[in-house]
Amino acid sequence: MRIRVLRRIAQILTVFLIIAIPVLNKKGVTLITGTLYSLSVDGIWITDPLSGFQVIISSFSADRILLLSMVIPAALALAFGRVFCGWMCPQNAISEFFDYISRKIPPLPPFSKGGMGGFQIFNITPSAKPRYVIMFLLLVSAPLLGFPVANLISAPGIISVQVSKYFYEGIVGLELGLIGIIVISEVFIIRRGWCNYICPVGSFLGIFRFKRTMKVIYTEDSEHTCGGCMECVTACQLGLNPMEGRIYPLCHNCGDCIDICEKIKSRGKPLSFKF
Amino acid sequence: MNKKLLRPPGALAEIDFSAKCIRCGKCSQSCPYKSIKTATLLDGLTVMGTPFIKAREMPCYLCMKCPPVCPSGALDRKLKNKQDVRMGTARINKKQCLAWQGTLCRSCYQSCPVFDEAIKMDNELRPVVDEKKCVGCGICENVCPVEPAAIEVKAK
Repeated sequence: MRIRVLRRIAQILTVFLIIAIPVLNKKGVTLITGTLYSLSVDGIWITDPLSGFQVIISSFSADRILLLSMVIPAALALAFGRVFCGWMCPQNAISEFFDYISRKIPPLPPFSKGGMGGFQIFNITPSAKPRYVIMFLLLVSAPLLGFPVANLISAPGIISVQVSKYFYEGIVGLELGLIGIIVISEVFIIRRGWCNYICPVGSFLGIFRFKRTMKVIYTEDSEHTCGGCMECVTACQLGLNPMEGRIYPLCHNCGDCIDICEKIKSRGKPLSFKF
Repeated sequence: MNKKLLRPPGALAEIDFSAKCIRCGKCSQSCPYKSIKTATLLDGLTVMGTPFIKAREMPCYLCMKCPPVCPSGALDRKLKNKQDVRMGTARINKKQCLAWQGTLCRSCYQSCPVFDEAIKMDNELRPVVDEKKCVGCGICENVCPVEPAAIEVKAK
């Protein structure tokens, strides 16, 4: 279970940073400042590409510092895929947690559909189309309405900004309610629906992908044998089938499928990360 | 949202600011006086997440720490001199103002950071705002002893 341990560390570290940054800044420690929309780490600027892109298209101007600050997240996505979503996003961590909890509770009769446990009313095959339609509409409305519209539903950004607001002002905004709506809808309507079908942050990061981007590879040859146990499909919270191959851009490289495969097959596992 | 929000120093004109502000909250984190608040959903969809100042609660002391941290240029990062800040303009409500009503008071005059330039006392010792010099920091609004304040900053 090596990948999962690393991933949990990354997730905990991100949540820790979201809290520690405003707390330390308030005390005057300004080595790292900002939120998940835009961070600066000892003079290195890192900006969420979706927010940066919206600013560029709605203000019809490209600030040099803004452009440069989008390089690190874009490069990270180009190299490792949507690891921001799988390994860092606080919303993904929250969603994963509630998904785990909801699957520990035996489903009641009206919710017993779906076959894989859980309470969700709908059980649909994942598709990348809805999320790109949503992102396109949000990106078109940004210049029309004159502000970064997608930030209204950027869950990681909202979480991070509201945590900061809480430490500075002692209150949070109503927009934090979005997180509750996401959790409830994912537990009761569509499993991991927000991350799979809506989130514009993930959709935008999914654009930064090319042939050599890290991906989950299914190999079936003399050295790698698959017993067809389907545990990888069960392990995937996003409901993807890593044996199929067509899991991108939905897959955010969390590695849960690879981990479970390794647990079952001590050697010659067919699933692995490859560049 | 009817009333215009008072933006941090160096903010572009409202329409450009709204388009350029990435809503990251860095400027509020950089403010040592916690003057810069973050607008919420209840302040309006278009301003949600943007920074603003409630001068009556905590004005801007013009330390100029926020413009350089802005990642998108919604705050002019090159702005250094506090005299060049134009957040808004102070307006005096003469019916409320103690000095204009005949009581001696020079609270706003004395606390103005552009001292004796943005707010001057006229021959009858009444404060007068020079709109060309006023930076809009809101310190005058903050110190005004009258409730509600007789001098208020109107955002630009």
